[in-house]
Amino acid sequence: MSLTKTLYEKDLYPEIEDAGDSDFARDCVEIASERLAKGQIDRRTFLTAMTLLGALPAGVALGSKTAGAAAKELVVVNWGGPAVEAYAKAFGDPFEKSAGVKVVIDGTGPLGSKIKAMVDAKAVTWDVCDTGTGTTLVLQKQGVLQKIDYSIVDKKKMQDIFAYEYGCANYMFSFILAYNKTKVPSAPTGWKDFWDLAKFPGNRTLRKQPNGMLEACMMAAGKSPKSVYPIDIDLAVGKLKEIKANVIAWGSGSQSQELFRTGEVAMGNIWHTRANLLNQETKGDVTWTWQDGIVTAGMWNVPLANPAGTETAMKFIASSQDPEQQLVLFDAMGNGPANPAAAAKVPADKKYIDPGQPENLALQVLQNGPWYEEDSGVRNLTNDELSREKWLDALSS
Amino acid sequence: MHASLRRIYWWLIAPAVLLMLVFYIYPLVQVLWISVTDPVPGLGNYMELIERPLIHRIWMTTLRVCVITTAVTVIAGYAVAYAMCHVGDRHRTWMMFCVLLTFWLSVLIRAFAWVMLLRTEGIVNSGLQELGLIDEPLRLVRNEFGVIVGMVHFMLPLAVLPIYSNMTGIDTRLISAARGLGASPIGAFTNIYLPLSKPGLIAATILVFVFSLGFFITPALLGGGKVVMISEYIQVSFEETLRWGQATMLSSTLLFSVLLSLALVARFVDLKKVFGAR
Repeated sequence: MSLTKTLYEKDLYPEIEDAGDSDFARDCVEIASERLAKGQIDRRTFLTAMTLLGALPAGVALGSKTAGAAAKELVVVNWGGPAVEAYAKAFGDPFEKSAGVKVVIDGTGPLGSKIKAMVDAKAVTWDVCDTGTGTTLVLQKQGVLQKIDYSIVDKKKMQDIFAYEYGCANYMFSFILAYNKTKVPSAPTGWKDFWDLAKFPGNRTLRKQPNGMLEACMMAAGKSPKSVYPIDIDLAVGKLKEIKANVIAWGSGSQSQELFRTGEVAMGNIWHTRANLLNQETKGDVTWTWQDGIVTAGMWNVPLANPAGTETAMKFIASSQDPEQQLVLFDAMGNGPANPAAAAKVPADKKYIDPGQPENLALQVLQNGPWYEEDSGVRNLTNDELSREKWLDALSS
Repeated sequence: MHASLRRIYWWLIAPAVLLMLVFYIYPLVQVLWISVTDPVPGLGNYMELIERPLIHRIWMTTLRVCVITTAVTVIAGYAVAYAMCHVGDRHRTWMMFCVLLTFWLSVLIRAFAWVMLLRTEGIVNSGLQELGLIDEPLRLVRNEFGVIVGMVHFMLPLAVLPIYSNMTGIDTRLISAARGLGASPIGAFTNIYLPLSKPGLIAATILVFVFSLGFFITPALLGGGKVVMISEYIQVSFEETLRWGQATMLSSTLLFSVLLSLALVARFVDLKKVFGAR
C-alpha cells in the first residue's frame, strides 16, 4: 500500500520527484514557462514548441538505426517546454543546415536513471543528452556513457575544467550568495559572512545536494577561492553542522525562490538564474554577489550505442560550440554561454547576469569536476558519492 | 464442492490472478531480484542495513515520525468520530463534509498551506507575537514538528472513517444499561464503549501506520530537507546516485516491515473482521 502511495504522489507531482543534479537544466525550462505565462514570450513561439513536441513520437520511433550507417536523424534530449523550441533554434537548425542531419529535440527529460535503464536494456533511442556535472559523474561510474571525442569537439571552446572525459560543457551557470537587503544589516561579501549568525541573523538556504555547497563551506572555513580544492569533506560538512539549525534545504530551483518569497530566509546559496528572477520580482530587494560564486556547467552526454552513431553526436556537440548559437540560448533561457569567445558578444545590459563575463569569472571559483571523480578512499566511493552521503547525514541528523 | 464447479470458479478468477501476476507480482519479484544482484550478487545491500549509520538514522526518523503521527492521529480521529456519532444529523453531515474535504484536497496544496500558516512570518507566529505570548518566532515548520503536523492532517480522515463506521454499529443502549446498573460515566465508557470500538481503533492504527511508513511529499516539503524518511532516500538512490541495489533493498525492507507489522497485529486480532471481510 505504501509503495503504490509513493508512486502515486510522484506521478502527480513530477516537479517534486526529481531533485537530481540535471535540475538546473529543468529549472531553466520552468523559468521560461513562467515567462510565457506572463506574456514575455509570444504565443506563436510557444505553439511552435508544442508542435515540435507533438511530432516527437514518430521521431523517436525512427531513431533506432544501426550504428555505422550514415545517420539521417539525431535525437537531442532536454527538459521540455520552451527548451524544445530554444534548442531547436539555437543548435538544431544550424546543424541541420551544415550537416544535413535532421535534429529532433525530445523534451522528455534525460534523467540519469532513464539513461541507465535505456543502456541496460540495450534500447537506446537518445543521441545527445542535456544533463549536469553530477549526473555525468554518476553515469560515467555506471559505465553507460561514451567518451567525448576531443578530436572533433574543441576543448579550447570551453573552460578547460569543464571538459570531462565523458561529458563537456553546454552552457555555464553559478551557485552564488543571494540575499534579501531588507533582512540583512549590510551587504554580505562572501561565505564568511554567510556563516556569521551574530552579524547576519536569520535563516539561510543551502542545497540538499553537496555539489556547489562544499566549495562555499571551504571558503567559509577560511580557504581562499584558489585553494578550495582538494575539498576536505569532513571540514566542509562540519561547517554545515555549525549553522544547521538555521538552514532550510532547497531541492528544486523553484523551491529556493519560494523560500525568499515567503521571507523564510535572509540569504542563500542558489542558482544565479533564480537570484535574477527574485531580483526582478522584488524590485531589487533580493540581490546577489558574484564574489565567491561557484561556476559550473550544463553537460552534453552521449549514451553508449546511440542510434545516430558516435561521430554524428560528436559533430553536433562541436557545432553547438559556436558562440552565436550559444547566445541564442542565453537570450531565450538565461544559460550562460560555455564558449569564452561568446562573452564579448553579450549585450552590455545583459552582462551582469552572465557568469562567464571576465569580471564576474574573476570573482568566482570554477568547479573542479575531476576532484569529484577521485576515489575518496572510503568503501570504493568517489568523493562525489561520499560527500552526498555525509551531506545528507549531516542535514538529517 | 463439485470438482467441475470448482474448476469454473478458478477460470472466473483467472483474469484477476493473471493481472496481479503480470502487473504486481512480477515487478515486485524484479525489485527483490535487483536488491540481491546489483551491483554484485549477494546480500551486500542488506548488510548496509546493519553497517551504515546513515541508514540507521533514516530508519529511526521514519519510525519515530510514524509512531508519533499514528498515535496523535488515532486519538484525534477517535475524538472526532465519537463526536460525529453523538451530534444531530445536520451537524454530522457538516462534520463528514469537512473530513472528506481534506481527504480530497491535493496533498501538495495542504503542505503549502501549512508552510504559509506556520512559517516565521506566518499567521500563527505573528498572531502569537501580537498577543505578546512570544518574543521570537517559534520554529514550527521545516523541521520534524512541521512534518508531524502535516502528516497528522493528511492521515486524519483515514482514522476517522473506520472508527466512525465501527462506532455507528455500537448499540448505545448498552451504555444506558451500564449506567442504570450503577456504572460511572467514565466507567461505562472504559468498560463498555471502548472495548466495543476496539476493532475500529485497530483498523485505523494499521491504516495510518502503514500509510505513514511510505510517506514522501509531506516530509520532503515540510521537513526543510532535514527530515529524511525512507521513501525520500529511496528516491535519492534511484534517481540521483543510481544505486538501484540499495534503492530496491530499501523498498523491499519497507515492504517487509509493512507485512511484519500486519503479521504482528494479526496475532492479537482477527484482521478479516477488522477490515469488514467477515
